[in-house]
Amino acid sequence: MIEIRDLHCYYGAIEALRGINMKIEDGAITCLIGSNGAGKTSTLKSISNVVCRTGGIIYDGVDLSHLRDIQIARQGVIHVPEGRGVFPGLTVEENLLTGTVNWHGLFGKGRYDQDLAEVYELFPRLQERRNQLAWSLSGGEQQMLAIGRGLMGRPKVMMLDEPSMGLAPLVVAELFEKIVEINRERGITILLVEQNAKLALKVSNYAYVLEQGCILLEGPAEELRYDPRVVSAYMGTGAH
Amino acid sequence: MNFNLFVSLLVNGLAMGMVYALLAMGLIMLFRSAGVMNFAQGMMLAVGAYISYATQVQADLPLYAAIPLCLASYVVFGLIFMACIYLPLKDTKFPAAIVVATMGTSSILSEACTLIWGGEALSVPYLVTNGEGKSAYLTIGGVSIQWQYILTTIVGVVLIFLVYVLFDKLYVGKMMEAAAQDKYTASLIGIPKLVTIAITYAIAISLGCIGGFMVSPVTYCSVSLSSLQLRAFASVVIGGTRSIKGAVIGALLVGLVEAFATVNLSNYKDAVVFILLIVFLLVKPDGLVRSKIGDKA
Repeated sequence: MIEIRDLHCYYGAIEALRGINMKIEDGAITCLIGSNGAGKTSTLKSISNVVCRTGGIIYDGVDLSHLRDIQIARQGVIHVPEGRGVFPGLTVEENLLTGTVNWHGLFGKGRYDQDLAEVYELFPRLQERRNQLAWSLSGGEQQMLAIGRGLMGRPKVMMLDEPSMGLAPLVVAELFEKIVEINRERGITILLVEQNAKLALKVSNYAYVLEQGCILLEGPAEELRYDPRVVSAYMGTGAH
Repeated sequence: MNFNLFVSLLVNGLAMGMVYALLAMGLIMLFRSAGVMNFAQGMMLAVGAYISYATQVQADLPLYAAIPLCLASYVVFGLIFMACIYLPLKDTKFPAAIVVATMGTSSILSEACTLIWGGEALSVPYLVTNGEGKSAYLTIGGVSIQWQYILTTIVGVVLIFLVYVLFDKLYVGKMMEAAAQDKYTASLIGIPKLVTIAITYAIAISLGCIGGFMVSPVTYCSVSLSSLQLRAFASVVIGGTRSIKGAVIGALLVGLVEAFATVNLSNYKDAVVFILLIVFLLVKPDGLVRSKIGDKA
């Protein structure tokens, strides 16, 4: 379980998070929804320690708040960034291999055949394109690659930042099936940041609604899905 | 031009091309992974040459002891260079600050070398000598070639091959490449950025120093070796600023053009090199080898 206590995040003089408290349960999908600039991405960046932040982040009794970014990845907390962040000049397979660095180090020789086979089983499309350079993939394939690369790091917790961004609805539906599969079948805890609140609440167990750096609402996703405040603010009209 | 002259110019050009290639590869590695255009890269030739002088002449060590000692010093020097340039300025908001720092370092190194070893050009022994301490020649079918040029070419080929193996075959090279392409994501997935950058500095600086080690018996050892930096810049522009392969091709082209220009235009060989550069800037400003990352429509 990740427990976040009184988390603040700053970009210079701007305070992007104003003291949020969250609990991310093991084995569940927790989602974080909210409008643009609410602080969703800042929350993930704070957990990964790539922004200036204060507050407590306790993961399985380990205080993450004093660890550096790569040490946090080594704890099994893997952040799949917004905009995918695939390495454009490496092939699909090389991109996947980079994901293993957090458990076997820069010079170690890990046995990743099994991990690779599992990722290819989950995303057969990546296997078809294994020798293609990553920049030439479609947006959906790049997102699969980013998630696959995260899985290669043997995560215990995966933080996905806007996996649906810029993708066609059919591709998004396929991707979300895979995300649920990763959670159910491998027991990987997922913290999902999404603008697409309707979809996020459908697959999640628990949800937080962020607004202007504060948590506005929280509760089981089943309940928030029908909460009139959430429906009117984040789902447009007529959504159920 | 007779055949003998042609062969000796060819070998001379290839050897100098390899030296430029070593410099240019270092330039590109630093540029890609740390975003630093290193204006002190040419000075590495001089540093490499002076360290070679110190071990081979001043300490009078035999080659089998001098070579490993030089290589170790080059790597350590690369790491010190990184500690002085990269670490204090890595979070700067002014990218030009690092460029200026490399220029300043170049001057400091130049003055330091002059203080320690004096301003006169020093002679460094050839790797293969005849009885009188002059360079030995290899004679095949009536054509004589200096061993130093042959060895320089061989060392260049081997180092280019090793750099290729590092980036194309080794896991750590892929991690360095990944960190060079996207530093932010690299740190999120757990690539130790500082280590990959330190390796890059150690290799890039060592390549320049090894170039100095090989070239100094021919050119003498002096701080003016750093002027060859301009040849390396020309190679990088001709080859394409982000491709190591391109830089090697560009460097060999510069070396060969320069060698053949000495036949009739020896006073103008600098001019010939830079005319080549200007032609490339006009006709093919992207360089010979385009980046393999394309633009998606």
